[in-house]
Amino acid sequence: MGIFVLLPLVLPLTAWPIARLAAQRLHPRTATVLLTGVSSVMAVCSTVCLALLMVVGTAQLPGNPLPDGWSDPEVRESVPRHEIAGKAAIPALIAVVASCAHAVLRHHRVRRRAHAALTGLPPTEVAVLPDAQPYAYALPGGPRDRVVVSTAMLTGLGSRERRALFAHERAHLTARHHRHLLLVQLAACANPFLRPLRTAVAYTAERWADEEAARAVGSRRTVARAIGKAALGPRGTPAPTLAGLAATGPLPRRVAALLGPAPAARAWPPVFTTVGLALWTATAGALLSAMFSADSAVTLLLLLHAATRL
Amino acid sequence: MAEPDPRRRRRAQGALETQVLSALHTAGKPVTAGWVQEYLGADLAYTTVMTVLARLLAKSAVTRRREGRSFVWLPAADEAGLAALKMHRVLDGEQDRRAVLASFITTLPEGDEQVLRELLDQAGDED
Repeated sequence: MGIFVLLPLVLPLTAWPIARLAAQRLHPRTATVLLTGVSSVMAVCSTVCLALLMVVGTAQLPGNPLPDGWSDPEVRESVPRHEIAGKAAIPALIAVVASCAHAVLRHHRVRRRAHAALTGLPPTEVAVLPDAQPYAYALPGGPRDRVVVSTAMLTGLGSRERRALFAHERAHLTARHHRHLLLVQLAACANPFLRPLRTAVAYTAERWADEEAARAVGSRRTVARAIGKAALGPRGTPAPTLAGLAATGPLPRRVAALLGPAPAARAWPPVFTTVGLALWTATAGALLSAMFSADSAVTLLLLLHAATRL
Repeated sequence: MAEPDPRRRRRAQGALETQVLSALHTAGKPVTAGWVQEYLGADLAYTTVMTVLARLLAKSAVTRRREGRSFVWLPAADEAGLAALKMHRVLDGEQDRRAVLASFITTLPEGDEQVLRELLDQAGDED
C-alpha cells in the first residue's frame, strides 16, 4: 500500500477550492448536498487509513495483544516510515473517536434539553417564548419538530417578514438540515482538513432555507429584510445573539445573495469554469480517497493473512 | 476547598432558578421562602433560596408582597416564561450550539453592521 495509505489523510485539501466557491456559485441545495457527501466520504476514508496505520503501529508495541505475525517485517514495510506513522496514528485515532463521540453526545444533549424546556407548553408547531434576547431556531425531533422563537425576535418584524422567518425555520426542518450539520461536524472531527467544508455547509444550509422561505412568501426582498431587521434589532441596534461561527459576515452575504438574482437550479456547472474545475477536483479527491483506502485495507488484510498463515 | 469552575457554578445557579420557579408554580398560592426551602429539601440553605428569589425578582420572573413580618412570593412568569428561562439555560450552557441548532441569525460583527444597513436601505420597503 506504501504511500497510498497516507494520501486519504491529506486528500481533503482537494475539496478546499469547492468549499470556497460553492457558497457563491452553486445553488445552495446542490452545494449543501455535495459538500456534505464529499466531506462524509473523505472523513470515512481518512479514518479507515488511520485505523490501518494504527494496526501496524500497535503491532510493534511490546506487550500488545495482537498475534505475533502482525509485526512481521513484511507487514511493517508496507507502511512508509512505519515506526513513526504507526505510533502517531494511535493517539490520532483515539482523538478522532473521542471528539466524534463528544460531538454526537452534545448534539443529542442540546436537543433533549431544548425539548425538555418546552414541556408544559401547548404542543403547537411554533413555540413563542417571552424573552428579551432575540433568537429563532428549528428544533428537530422530540415528540414533534418545533420552531422556537423569542418575542424579542418577533418585535420589529412585519407580518410578511414573520412569515418569512417561519418559512425559513420550517425549511430547515423539512430538509433535515440538522443531519447535514451533524455529518459535516463529525467529518471535521475526523480530519481537521475538512473544517472549511463544515463552515461552508453551515452557510449553504442557511442559504438553502432562505431560498425556500423566499419561495414560500413569494419575495426574496422580504426574506432579506427579515434577516436584516432581525440582526439589527427593532431599534436598529445590533443584536448580540447566539454566538456564531468565526466566519466573517455570513449575514450580509446572505442578504446580498437574496437581493441579487435567484440562483440557477442547474445541477452541475460546466467543467471548464473555475467552479466546474473545483467541483471535479473535489469529486476526484473523494474517489481517489475511496480507492486508496479500500486498496490499502485489502492489501493489509492479505499481508496479515499471509503473515499469520490463517 | 477548591474554587469551583465559574461556568459550572453559573449553570448550577440557572438550574436552581428553574427549580425555585417550578416550586412556586406547584404551590399555586403565594408562599414564603421557608416553604420553598422545605419543598426543595435537599441541602439548600435558606440564604441560597433568598438569593435565588432575589435574582428571579430582578429578572421580573417572580413578584413578592409583604405578609406580616416576611415576604410571600408568586411566580410572575407563566408556563411560557418558565420555558423561556429553561431555554435560556440550554442556549447559555452550550458553547457551540450553532452546530446543533440552525438559527436564523448569528452574532453580528461590528464591521458587518454597516454593510447590513446599506444592504437594507437597498432592499427598501417596496416589493
